Amino acid sequence: MDAGEEIAVLISRVALRDRTAFSALYTATAPKLFSVCLRILKDRTEAEDALQEVFVKVWQRADRFAAIGTSPMGWLVAIARNHAIDILRARRPLADSIEEEGRSLPDSSPDPEVATVVKGEGRRIDRCMEELESDRASAVRSAYVEGLTYQELAERHGVPLNTMRTWLRRSLLKLRECLDR
Amino acid sequence: MTRPEQSEGDRSRDEVLAGEYVLGVLSLEDRRRVEARIEHDRDFAAIVARWQENLTRLDDEYAPVPPPSHLFPALEARLFPDTAAAEGRRPAGLWNSLFLWRAISFASIALLITYVSLDSGWIGIRQPAAPLVAEMVGEGSSLALMAHYDAQNGRLRITPVAAGAADERSLELWLVPGGSDPAISLGVLPQSGEGEVEIPANLRSRIAEGVTLAVSMEPFGGSPTGQATGPVIAAGQTRRP
Repeated sequence: MDAGEEIAVLISRVALRDRTAFSALYTATAPKLFSVCLRILKDRTEAEDALQEVFVKVWQRADRFAAIGTSPMGWLVAIARNHAIDILRARRPLADSIEEEGRSLPDSSPDPEVATVVKGEGRRIDRCMEELESDRASAVRSAYVEGLTYQELAERHGVPLNTMRTWLRRSLLKLRECLDR
Repeated sequence: MTRPEQSEGDRSRDEVLAGEYVLGVLSLEDRRRVEARIEHDRDFAAIVARWQENLTRLDDEYAPVPPPSHLFPALEARLFPDTAAAEGRRPAGLWNSLFLWRAISFASIALLITYVSLDSGWIGIRQPAAPLVAEMVGEGSSLALMAHYDAQNGRLRITPVAAGAADERSLELWLVPGGSDPAISLGVLPQSGEGEVEIPANLRSRIAEGVTLAVSMEPFGGSPTGQATGPVIAAGQTRRP
């Protein structure tokens, strides 16, 4: 049984309120989830509090794990990321953008020079990320890994906010198009 | 997944919104709106789940950092105030059953019942379908099994959770079709707890939402009669969570 399956078994047991399994799950996964909280919140005390909240959620939602069908570690990391990002967004409120005027979509047609790519299994997302221009791929990565906002990404890359929005939205469409190939 | 009336543009808009949500760039209020939509819009939920799955690879960037050791006791005290008061003493039932369960052979390992065909009609062709799960528990028995069927890869995973009795017995898995039909044996769970059982082709169409999966304690090697002879120690209905 590989590590992923072991974690899946532990989560199933936690769903049945097995505290021993909960303890084992914490031991196996807390360092990864703590890293998520630290990386996004960039504050040790906040990250410690967040990690506790994350495991409270894991205890409460373990029975929903079966319904997700994603990798067990991915499921746990998503809980941690979502929690940490929520804290971050509550700390520094952002303007909403769903209702944004003219939430326009960029042209998603692939660049001609990257249109032919060998199909392959495994590391597909890596390959698709490589198809993006490197500054855009790096923006996607920092958004995901560090929970940066459009504004912070724009500052980091020295481009206007709207340009960054277009970059990321276009990158998402290109990634989706690449992943669907 | 794409509704016929849904335009290409709507679809792209949803892809981008779901991607932005998973990346984490939305405002708190927009995140709540997206989450509300995930709850009631299955198609949209599937798009979000797909991004989640696709971007999981980026999780490699999070190099593990051990949290301080005081954190777990604090977490336990918060979740389980009853036991924290009892000097860290664990509930005896769980410990015992777990210990016993580990001591006996069908231990903590996930059992995979694989079946070959993806289009055997169990779940149908709608994708992505919610997996079927069943929690099989028995009154007075400390054995619990979690069944989880993933239509994407055709695997029915049975996870033993705890068991309390051990001698030369076998656990047999049954399909209880409902109505007055007798239970149908799906096979004996491997003694090691690890292995694969193929669902016979003629039974695959009968495993659907609402049927009961049950486990009985049988003489070593399985029921001699083709019907459950021993006590049913765990049972549960398949459902879409």
